Amino acid sequence: MSRIEALIELDNVRKSFGDFEVLKGISMFVQKGEAVCIIGPSGSGKSTILRCINGLFPIDEGFIRVGEHRVHELKSDKAMRALRHQVAMVFQQYNLFPHRTALQNIMMAPIQVLGHDRAEVEERARKLLKKVRLSEKADSYPGQLSGGQQQRVAIARALAMQPEVILFDEVTAALDPETVKDVLFAIRELVEEGLTCILVTHEMKFAREVSQRVCFTDHGLIVESAPPAELFDNPQDPRTREFLGQVL
Amino acid sequence: MLGLDYSWLADPAYQRWLLIGVVNTLKLAALSSSAAIVIGMLGALGFTFRIFWLDALIELFVEVFRNTPPLLQMLFAYFTLSTLGLKVTDPSTGLSVPLLSAFACAAISLSLFGGALAIEAFRSGIETMPRSIVDAARSLGYGRWARFWRIEAPIATRICLPALTNILTNLFKTTSQASVITVPELMYYAGQIYNDTFRTLEVMILVLLIYVALVSMLTFAMARLEAFMAFPGYGRGL
Ligand SMILES: Nc1ncnc2c1ncn2[C@@H]1O[C@H](COP(=O)(O)OP(=O)(O)O)[C@@H](O)[C@H]1O
Ligand SMILES: [Mg+2]
Repeated sequence: MSRIEALIELDNVRKSFGDFEVLKGISMFVQKGEAVCIIGPSGSGKSTILRCINGLFPIDEGFIRVGEHRVHELKSDKAMRALRHQVAMVFQQYNLFPHRTALQNIMMAPIQVLGHDRAEVEERARKLLKKVRLSEKADSYPGQLSGGQQQRVAIARALAMQPEVILFDEVTAALDPETVKDVLFAIRELVEEGLTCILVTHEMKFAREVSQRVCFTDHGLIVESAPPAELFDNPQDPRTREFLGQVL
Repeated sequence: MLGLDYSWLADPAYQRWLLIGVVNTLKLAALSSSAAIVIGMLGALGFTFRIFWLDALIELFVEVFRNTPPLLQMLFAYFTLSTLGLKVTDPSTGLSVPLLSAFACAAISLSLFGGALAIEAFRSGIETMPRSIVDAARSLGYGRWARFWRIEAPIATRICLPALTNILTNLFKTTSQASVITVPELMYYAGQIYNDTFRTLEVMILVLLIYVALVSMLTFAMARLEAFMAFPGYGRGL
């Protein structure tokens, strides 16, 4: 795949926290419309990769590009505003704002950050709530919603920014098993609609079904990257084999 | 009953003193509480910039005002601001009078004392906020300023309301020390009345009851505010 056509490009990205090197040279490309899953042991740097793409962590070395934004060169939250319009992120802990209703959570950033028209944003927000099948919860506060419902509101909130890319960081890891499928259903729809997605996940079955490519990370490196059928059925690297042996 | 004699309370002059005292106490408390909240917010905002010298400055302010007796602070304010320099000539009488009245000195000193405590409260409110909420706001494109006003401050305010209630009650009670620098508030007039009547115990009991009533009103209002602002679905919210 050529790097010019890629929507997202990481080249030899290194990142340390103090003396501890979390990312030891991550390179990857993601095409427009592609769904890429990142799997790997806990602590291998998966969340850190997503955070670097979103500009939440500065990197020490290397190159990150999303569309026309050279992320590693953006220094302030202000400089990153356009990037964050283009890239949305959904977190494991939902991170909804507890003092605002579901609908307000979705509407806040488009109005306050992007300066979009309130009436238009409200219409958009209600459509998105309907899409994640939570229309009747518009006026509920996060504390009044189950984990799965909060996570779907968080997905709607990310979509309201009209991003080109969504980063999902283990969004079902904190959920009850019954609510996991509602959240996965919502994500699967987005992938099928052609939204570019990078998903960190422990749901191997889901990864196999929705993604075009799976990357396996271990100790800050992408050890292996292949279409899901290949990676799951015929892993090349012994570390991948060991990991899959434990989780499958 | 218990040999208490409240006949002096029938005297309109004493009634008037008590009334003026209560009004001045309320004024002093309202002024210094509002100022303390503003100082608290500005100080907490200052910390979010993470500028070394600004942090050190705010820290110094907090340490000085939190770790010294408020009475000393008030006397200090009174003798530096009021009696030493800062005189103006009153155009009507031609006399040189202090620019700042005792009341103004008390209000300033209480504001700074309460402000130092409020900075600590607001700061811990911001710091106990989950880091991940801040990340979510950043990933939605909020810059530092919008993030503080739209997300961090509203959430932190709710988190630290109980601490703020404590600070405001404390501040209310500390207004009584302004009597020492001749501010005519409730405690000051209480002294005047028992010097006049020698009914020390009776006056103290009455003043105590008045303080209980006033401070209870404050804590009741704060409890209502807390319930009103609580995050629905958490703690005392619905
Ligand atoms: N803000 C941080 N400060 C210090 N260390 C961190 C920070 N974030 C992550 N780490 C460390 O980096 C490593 C990788 O973390 P992470 O990317 O969250 O892994 P994963 O998502 O794969 O479980 C972990 O060892 C973690 O403790
Ligand atoms: Mg993680």
